[in-house]
Amino acid sequence: MRNIMRRALTPLAVLLLAACGGEEKAGGEAADQVQPSSRSLAATLQAEDGFGTLNEMATNAGLKGVLEGVGPYTVFAPADGAFQAGGAGADFTDESLRAQSVALLRAHIVPGALTRQDIAAAIERDGDGEVQMRTMANTLLTFSRNGEAVVVTAENGARGRLTGEERLASNGVLQPIDALLVRPETPSS
Amino acid sequence: MHRIIPAAAALALAFTLPGAVLAQNQGQGKGHGGDHARQDKGGGPDRADRGGDRGRGGGEARGRGPERADRHVPPEPVRQADRGPDPDRGRGRDDDRGDRPVERDVRRAIEAGAPIAVFRVEPDRGLIAGCPPGLAKRNNGCLPPGQERKIERARYDYLWGSRDDVTYRYDDGYLYRLDRSGSVLGWLPALGGALAPGAVWPAQYAYQPVPDYYSDYFRLNDPYDYRYANGALYGVDPRTQAITQVVALLTGQPISIGQPLPAGYDVYNVPYPYRSRYMDTADSLYRYNDGYVYRVDPTTQLVQAAIQLLT
Repeated sequence: MRNIMRRALTPLAVLLLAACGGEEKAGGEAADQVQPSSRSLAATLQAEDGFGTLNEMATNAGLKGVLEGVGPYTVFAPADGAFQAGGAGADFTDESLRAQSVALLRAHIVPGALTRQDIAAAIERDGDGEVQMRTMANTLLTFSRNGEAVVVTAENGARGRLTGEERLASNGVLQPIDALLVRPETPSS
Repeated sequence: MHRIIPAAAALALAFTLPGAVLAQNQGQGKGHGGDHARQDKGGGPDRADRGGDRGRGGGEARGRGPERADRHVPPEPVRQADRGPDPDRGRGRDDDRGDRPVERDVRRAIEAGAPIAVFRVEPDRGLIAGCPPGLAKRNNGCLPPGQERKIERARYDYLWGSRDDVTYRYDDGYLYRLDRSGSVLGWLPALGGALAPGAVWPAQYAYQPVPDYYSDYFRLNDPYDYRYANGALYGVDPRTQAITQVVALLTGQPISIGQPLPAGYDVYNVPYPYRSRYMDTADSLYRYNDGYVYRVDPTTQLVQAAIQLLT
């Protein structure tokens, strides 16, 4: 049924859009080309190697339900190594840092489903080569290019690059990054 | 095949009748949080007398002294405003139901004239003025009884969204807003801290009821009270007031029809099932936020429509 709907609607949609005076697919792929898996973000995070820290944080923080829910969300997922490097020695999987885990996670999650192609297309379209998305922590992430890499910069200057392969989950996208998008301050005396 | 016609009609209506406001949704989620007083800067130390009856089975009775160090504030009557009439009901809803197959569909596009304010933006995140239980108010700031202790500078300050003149510091389940001298201006429970599955909803912490559209969109089928506060949707057991689940994260970003799209929605992010229907073109951009797809004029960046998504 779904296929019939889609095939019938696509030409209809094209007709409507053409009537509006031109069709430049500046962004967004046809649904046929974006094939998410049937796994939720939560299941993906659990199953994929290298995200054990993030997975444990999400579980401790009580956010597994969120990542199993309707969403969709795009999670910029720091790999385990990013926590060791950028976490200033904090163990965010510790029960005592549960609220801090939530705050950190929220700073890495944006609404909707962003594929690499979407991000790249947006950067290319922008005159300055910089585009922004708003996180669940109400901060802005800036995306830009550095050669082949897509760089993600947070408001406080923390910066990472998209790495590896994106994972299309049923309720969003997991976008691996190589650093934390929060920057610990150096404690002053 | 018969399903295409209603859908096409809906689409046609949406795109060709700018004046047709199919659903106002004005009452939804707007002002329904009642008047939970919030920015009471001169507020006294104890907000126990706030609001009317909840109208439901309350929690267990506990002591109420301001000297209690217990973080679990005894459930006090909190006025929960009704949701008010739902303009969605009985309005084209019957057309879309019936024996259709399980299929994602567009509910309706809400055209110009109706600002979509799904949840009221809480100034200062619903900050509660005064001192939390356990910290008696002294001359300037909150100090625990019999002890000289201010909230220590914590190494995780950077996580709380402090800005230039606004400092938030976390301690034992709660966020504290501090002034420059470190005195406590207000407090609120933190997600993952005092707001976590199993914890009782802090009675003084105001929330907004969840509009019916969100019940549909997020499939809120369990017999819980669903509440929104500061970027998250919670399910709460109505008997015990215990948080049973964190359902969703929301940006809480208000987006209004006729207003410019706020910063932070530059990348196409429409959910998969709707991508074939809502593709960016030279005339329309589509951006997703908190359960809605918004159609935006690429030139003016003005939001033209908010589309509810039925899953």
